[in-house]
Amino acid sequence: MTWRFGLFDSTFAPLVTTHWALVAALVLPLLLGLLAALFPPKRAWPVVLASVPILGSGWLLLSAFGEAGLLRWQWEIAGVLLSLRLNGLSVLLLLTTQGIGVAAALYTPGHLRLTDPAPLARWLWPLMGIVISALSLIWLATDLLTLYAALELMGLAAVGMLMLSGKVPALVAGMRYLLLALVGSLTYLLGVALILGHWGRLDLQGLAEVIEPGPVAWFAAAMIGAGLALKAALFPLHAWLTPVHENAWTPVSALHAALVIKASLFMLLQLWSILLPDTFYAPRIIAWLGLLAIVWGGLLAWRTDSLKTLVASSTVAQLGYLMVAFPLLLGPDIAPLPRALAWEGFWLQLIGHAFAKAAMFMAAGNLILATGEHTLKGLAGTSRRLPLSLLVFGIASITLMGLPPSSGFTAKWLLLEAMIITQQWWAVAALLIGTLLTAAYVFRMFRYSFDETAPRHRHQPLMPGMDFIALVLALTAFGLGLLAHFPLGLMHGGGP
Amino acid sequence: MIASFNAIEVLLALFLTGSALVCLFDRHLVRACCFFVAFAIAMSLAWWQLGAPWLAAVELVLGVGLTGPCFFYALGHVSPDTSAPLKHDKFSEHRSRVAMRVLLAMAWFVMVGAAIRYVIADMVYSPSEHPLLLSGVVIAATALAAFALHRHLLRRLLAFNLLGSAVFMLLAGVAGTSASAQALISVGLLVAWLGSLLGALLIRQLLRLEGVEALGRDGEPKEKAT
Repeated sequence: MTWRFGLFDSTFAPLVTTHWALVAALVLPLLLGLLAALFPPKRAWPVVLASVPILGSGWLLLSAFGEAGLLRWQWEIAGVLLSLRLNGLSVLLLLTTQGIGVAAALYTPGHLRLTDPAPLARWLWPLMGIVISALSLIWLATDLLTLYAALELMGLAAVGMLMLSGKVPALVAGMRYLLLALVGSLTYLLGVALILGHWGRLDLQGLAEVIEPGPVAWFAAAMIGAGLALKAALFPLHAWLTPVHENAWTPVSALHAALVIKASLFMLLQLWSILLPDTFYAPRIIAWLGLLAIVWGGLLAWRTDSLKTLVASSTVAQLGYLMVAFPLLLGPDIAPLPRALAWEGFWLQLIGHAFAKAAMFMAAGNLILATGEHTLKGLAGTSRRLPLSLLVFGIASITLMGLPPSSGFTAKWLLLEAMIITQQWWAVAALLIGTLLTAAYVFRMFRYSFDETAPRHRHQPLMPGMDFIALVLALTAFGLGLLAHFPLGLMHGGGP
Repeated sequence: MIASFNAIEVLLALFLTGSALVCLFDRHLVRACCFFVAFAIAMSLAWWQLGAPWLAAVELVLGVGLTGPCFFYALGHVSPDTSAPLKHDKFSEHRSRVAMRVLLAMAWFVMVGAAIRYVIADMVYSPSEHPLLLSGVVIAATALAAFALHRHLLRRLLAFNLLGSAVFMLLAGVAGTSASAQALISVGLLVAWLGSLLGALLIRQLLRLEGVEALGRDGEPKEKAT
């Protein structure tokens, strides 16, 4: 399992241009964010200009991986070993991060213009830059110290972003999130302390060789798991997620739901694949919780009256699909074929959901901005007035429901195939229940919006491009199902 | 066994525990924050005692110099504006719910403590020889209980900081003060400072918008699920 995360020696050393591309990918978002705090962009074209070098660095890293396969970097600073690796999966997640980050940044000037923002609005840019830089670092880092620093940097910047809207409920929710995230990070740190105390090293590649199952590994895995599950809003620890999204700005919600919570999940899977290879119970527990998450998140989204709560609760349910795949990825006695299928399905689902959820948050934000209503009932009549926003919402929900040919369909097909081969019928049931519930809450939202008898309200016109950006994201999520050979090829590249 | 204790270490451990208790449970918020600064200075000395001078310097700069002022800023003593500075907090919670939360927090802690005690037999600094480690365990327990008990946001921020210090102490006990451990703890201290800064800014903004009662309520009691 650990070789899939690229924890082995590389054949080639990185070239000079690759070094620069790496530096650009990690540092440029942060620097450009700071620049934007000094000179806040009022229109989209400076953001377009700024995103060119960032996307370029991602493209350079992709082509470097295509030529040389797995790449590693190592530095020893004052006796502490820091290491990075670039494998297919990290390139894929890096490109996803850059794509969604650029889309959120492009969406921001229009959004800020229409919402008459607080004076703090200029700080959104550096915080967004920090989040994108820290996310890129998390996909690349392979030692527990760098992972810890990047995780905390990302978490703190995310809290800062979420409460920038300055309303009292946002502040109260943000404070809860802050305190929970900080305590979660202390739990994670205790787990790391156990590892460092027992095996005396922090680099994942070395740990993967020396760690043997035993009480220390189990306790460390439990602590790290608890801390990261809290940050990833996995099922019983998800209560902070909805209030936080209820009051946040649209581009912030999009970035947070699409990527920030996924980073903790990525770390959880990576560390557990080292600490708990082939254990029976721990992945089973996660999977059962995932089943509950699918049902509970779906029910919450189905019964709610608020559009943003619907989108945020659907995140809880969609994370459940990923949790259900844990026994296939980490459990014992799984044949190579179902394990490979589950691996592909897991990451395709994660990436497809990231694009679809970002698009959905933007579409919901557009609908709320245009109608001025936060409830589902307020959407009455939008089918005539705001067809494009509704179309984006619809395309994003096709991916979430898993209808063909979206990436959600391909991902669930792969997961279902793996589950049927290994005869995990309850997991199959979980996927089917989740699809039905998703359809239920999406169609409930559409029933309100297609209400033709509603009186005509004045709708605020949106800025040009706001719907278009969301449409591009939704179509990416949709098209990844048709063009799945590109991400799937990357996920398997770099194997020994 | 007692005779082998180092007198300075015993004094430090006692002072750490005492100041932590005052900081966590004194209703007079200014005094509690003063004791937090005293606690941070003592922590710095403790790192020196455990043979980590770099960590002592980091603690002095980040803990005493930067995190401490955050709390006074949150109280409104650094830059007084329209709202009056905070002085006291009150408990307004059902006894049964308080007891339940404290019990849950303690149960979690006993589990973790037992894990550390029995899983790692070969701790670098064992608690039976180093009273500082013993005080770390006690502070972690009380800070976790206080985090679960208090609703007041400043109180919870203080409790988090003390919990953090105790966890760093345990980390040093389990893993020694090698370069990696010191780097981890330094990053942790930096995070604690940034978190406290963010929390202080938030508390200040809440006070400005809502007044004192906004700090007491905090949604549903889901927090101790960690």
